[in-house]
Amino acid sequence: MIQTLAFYLFAAMVIASAALTILARNPVHSVMWLISSFFNAAGLMIIIGAEFIAMLLVIVYVGAVAVLFLFIVMMLNIDFAELRAGFMKNFPVGIAIALVLLAELVLGIGAYRAGALELGVPDGSAAPILGASNIENIGALMYGRYLFLFETAGLILLVAMIGAIVLTHREQRAPRGHQNIAKQIARQPEDAIVNTKPEVGKGVQL
Amino acid sequence: MTAFFQSLGMTYEWAWFTSTIAGILLIALPLMLAVAMIIYVDRKIWAAMALRKGPNVVGPFGLLQSFADGLKVFLQETIIPSAANKGLFLLAPIITFTVALLAWAVIPFNSGAVLADINVGLLYILAVSSLGVYGVVISGWASNSKYPFFSAMRAAAQMISYEVSIGFTLVCVVLWAGTFNMNGIVLAQQGHGLGFVNGFFFNPLLFPMWVVFLISALAETARAPFDLTEAESELVAGYQTEYSSMSFALFWLGEYANVLLMCTLNAVLFFGGWLPPVEWSLLYYVPGWLWLFIKIFFFFFVFSWIKATVPRFRYDQLMRLGWKIFLPLSLLFVVLISGWLMLTRYGV
Amino acid sequence: MELQASLSLIAPEIVLSLSALALLLIGAWGGDKTARMNSIAACIAIAFCFAIVAPRVCAGVGGPDAVAFFGQFKADAFSGFAKLLIYAGSVAALLIAPNYLERVGAMRAEYPVLVILATLGMSIMVSAGDLLTLYIGLELNSLAAYVLAAFVRSDSRSAEAGLKYFVLGALASGILLFGMSLTYGFTGTTNFNAISTVVAGGLSGGAMFGLIFMLVGLAFKISAVPFHMWTPDVYEGAPTPVTAFFASAPKVAAVALLARVALEAFGTQVDAWRQVVVFAALASIIVGALGAIGQKNIKRLLAYSSINNVGFILVGLAAGTAQGAASMLLYLAVYVAMTVGSFVALLMLKNENGDQLESISDLSGLRSVSPVLAFCLMSMMFSLAGIPPFLGFWAKLVVFQAAVDANLVVLALLAIAASVIGAFYYIKIVKVMFFDQPSGVVLGKSDGVHWALLIISTLVISPLGYLATSWFGDLAQRAAATLFLLS
Repeated sequence: MIQTLAFYLFAAMVIASAALTILARNPVHSVMWLISSFFNAAGLMIIIGAEFIAMLLVIVYVGAVAVLFLFIVMMLNIDFAELRAGFMKNFPVGIAIALVLLAELVLGIGAYRAGALELGVPDGSAAPILGASNIENIGALMYGRYLFLFETAGLILLVAMIGAIVLTHREQRAPRGHQNIAKQIARQPEDAIVNTKPEVGKGVQL
Repeated sequence: MTAFFQSLGMTYEWAWFTSTIAGILLIALPLMLAVAMIIYVDRKIWAAMALRKGPNVVGPFGLLQSFADGLKVFLQETIIPSAANKGLFLLAPIITFTVALLAWAVIPFNSGAVLADINVGLLYILAVSSLGVYGVVISGWASNSKYPFFSAMRAAAQMISYEVSIGFTLVCVVLWAGTFNMNGIVLAQQGHGLGFVNGFFFNPLLFPMWVVFLISALAETARAPFDLTEAESELVAGYQTEYSSMSFALFWLGEYANVLLMCTLNAVLFFGGWLPPVEWSLLYYVPGWLWLFIKIFFFFFVFSWIKATVPRFRYDQLMRLGWKIFLPLSLLFVVLISGWLMLTRYGV
Repeated sequence: MELQASLSLIAPEIVLSLSALALLLIGAWGGDKTARMNSIAACIAIAFCFAIVAPRVCAGVGGPDAVAFFGQFKADAFSGFAKLLIYAGSVAALLIAPNYLERVGAMRAEYPVLVILATLGMSIMVSAGDLLTLYIGLELNSLAAYVLAAFVRSDSRSAEAGLKYFVLGALASGILLFGMSLTYGFTGTTNFNAISTVVAGGLSGGAMFGLIFMLVGLAFKISAVPFHMWTPDVYEGAPTPVTAFFASAPKVAAVALLARVALEAFGTQVDAWRQVVVFAALASIIVGALGAIGQKNIKRLLAYSSINNVGFILVGLAAGTAQGAASMLLYLAVYVAMTVGSFVALLMLKNENGDQLESISDLSGLRSVSPVLAFCLMSMMFSLAGIPPFLGFWAKLVVFQAAVDANLVVLALLAIAASVIGAFYYIKIVKVMFFDQPSGVVLGKSDGVHWALLIISTLVISPLGYLATSWFGDLAQRAAATLFLLS
């Protein structure tokens, strides 16, 4: 009962938020709706018992990706009137694509209902270990059967990182006053302070 | 607690529901009280270090100062700048406040005394704390004012940077504890140091990670010396500049609840949580939650101490520390710790 | 299926990854002055991989012994053959780049690292035995390629090429992923051999859709018509050594990957994909030939030429037999030599300031300025056109033979007819070089590496190359046969 309620709540929120992401006039509002959509998707993940994926969804998408989205959107001054001007021009194309997608959806669901679509039977290569938590399950697969692919995926991320640096990093021509923190910390009061007792009218020699 | 309500004649669903609500209230209300008192303590410590008296007028020793402040902001008018984005402007402090409370759901106060004893407790904390940045960023943007906006930009960059190293330190803890469950992590620390000291901090491989965590926690909660988001000498009051009355108070409550949370995490992850400091059966007569509170208070004292004594970082120094020192260091320790565990615990 | 056995099978990939990481560290600490040394080190690393793979190809390794990581990776002779070609193309890209990039001020230590990582990606692509491996390898290669295309930051054309390549490549990846998810959903497995077993009984509608989407995604990567639009722009904008790289190694990898998907995963359903491939082949040949005619820029012309050549390679694939796969491999080998040769020749066209010349009119009268260069370029063009004494003719011949043997006579006839159109613009270049008034702009000196590469590739495609055909054909035959071994 509670699961069903929760499912419909989360599912409705995902869809509504996604719709509002597109419909919102203000780009910052769009990002906020997108975040809400991610969040509710994480809720759906919890319902199917994939708590690890749910948490990762929040940490990665909500906590990092969307923040950067927001960061960029706030910085940019997007003129929506201008964007909307192109909207009417492309409207018929959009409608056509939407109709095609709708037709595909209807056909797909119809065919599925009629039993015409036979989904494949999972070959069991990624079958869960019963009784283990899903972190253990995912870990066992990633570091076991799919070790090679997992490590290679790491290389892809490395390439992305190299790419970002190669394309944007510029050597500073004149670096700002260089700060040697170790030197600062190593400096003791004795190095800087001298206590003297000058006689009256004699002044101090430094 | 569910069983108790069931014994009152409720069905299981109702009992569960009531007990959960009761649990939430049991955590949230004392937490708010604690926040009020901790603000007072913060001011007192700070005053003591500056050779001042601090609040001493309202109530005995000024103990009721926070409540007086609370009453004052409660009675004030909420001013919304005319150019602000109204909805988001009001939403921002609510987000900050709510998120600050959310994470407490998985904190164990005693053996089994935890609202949601979930498998991925630590990940949950990481997830929730990563949401904290939204309150700041949204308030900065929605204020439609220069200083809050700068502050929001700083906050976004700062919190994301330090979340990375926090994530890695947590991975180190999880590797050693072998579980993401908060209670499991506490129990894994029992007798960790020579079978006598309770706490991961005693471990030479985890101690540096605790230092990294402590400093990152300061940055994550934007406490001095990393309070660049509200640096009064540059940004007036940062993202809070345009806020007044209750919305301002919510920011304060949320902020201090976050500080307390970070202190708690220090205690739970590295100092044995509700376990007594050392393994000695007599000490177990003291209730676990008291040990936890003592530890939390100790860390809060450390936080205040730092705030009173350390000058503010420059922004580029902040970024340098996060990305060029903590990130490589914590990555190195993830490798070292997993290597050591492979060698000793799991056998290569 | 022990981890050790798997690791020994991916030895070349391990060498590549480790050398990429090592060179990255050297580059990070040593700065851009290490770029040249890094390039040489990268060449040595790739040569080392070449030495690991070559004996396996000669031995014709295949079947269960060559399968690593639960069927996700196949180090059989087919992948080995493709890897040898890829390594050759990558080494060429590493050798020709430093001089060019130094002149435009963009030679940085990351160039060899990115080339190695792209090579690694391709190496994984051709060895894919699983949809996941396919995608991971493809993305590794593509991401590195996007960055390489935009490598000269100061040049807006290069940035445009990078962006265009990235956006369209991401679209293609999306389509490919969609196809893969459909295939997985309707077959219940991502393993190629398992897929072929499941679809042997008949292809369901969903799996059919999956197959088509995957073919579309891969057609994008090999720039087969109708998914070729990006090719001329990217080839023109990217730095010339990088274009040479794009035109050679990734083509080999993507074609070999396409062959794996078509012949291994869907080998039991040849009829399902043959029409698509036949259409793409003919369209590529015709569009490639017609599109090249109006071009004034040599890089754009070579882009259309590569589209045209991909068409011929697909003719071999359309045959759907071991003979067809072997003919594809042979065509690819000759194609790599021709492409590298043409681009090296293009790099050697400089004016007196040492700036690159890219327009066809600059070639006029090249014969009187630099007869050797003109002769080499002529050989390349004749070979690309498939005119008899050169090896390009033999490559086309084996492809057509495979098509005819598979009862695709009409396809072969149409392709031959279309290749005559293609010959027009190749011969036009030869005419410009040998019979037009000298324009006198080509003056720059070229260094030894370029000359050496040009001479080698000219020798390979010259009639001398026929001496090796029987041995080489045999090798390709055996390599292709491993594709049809069940493991």
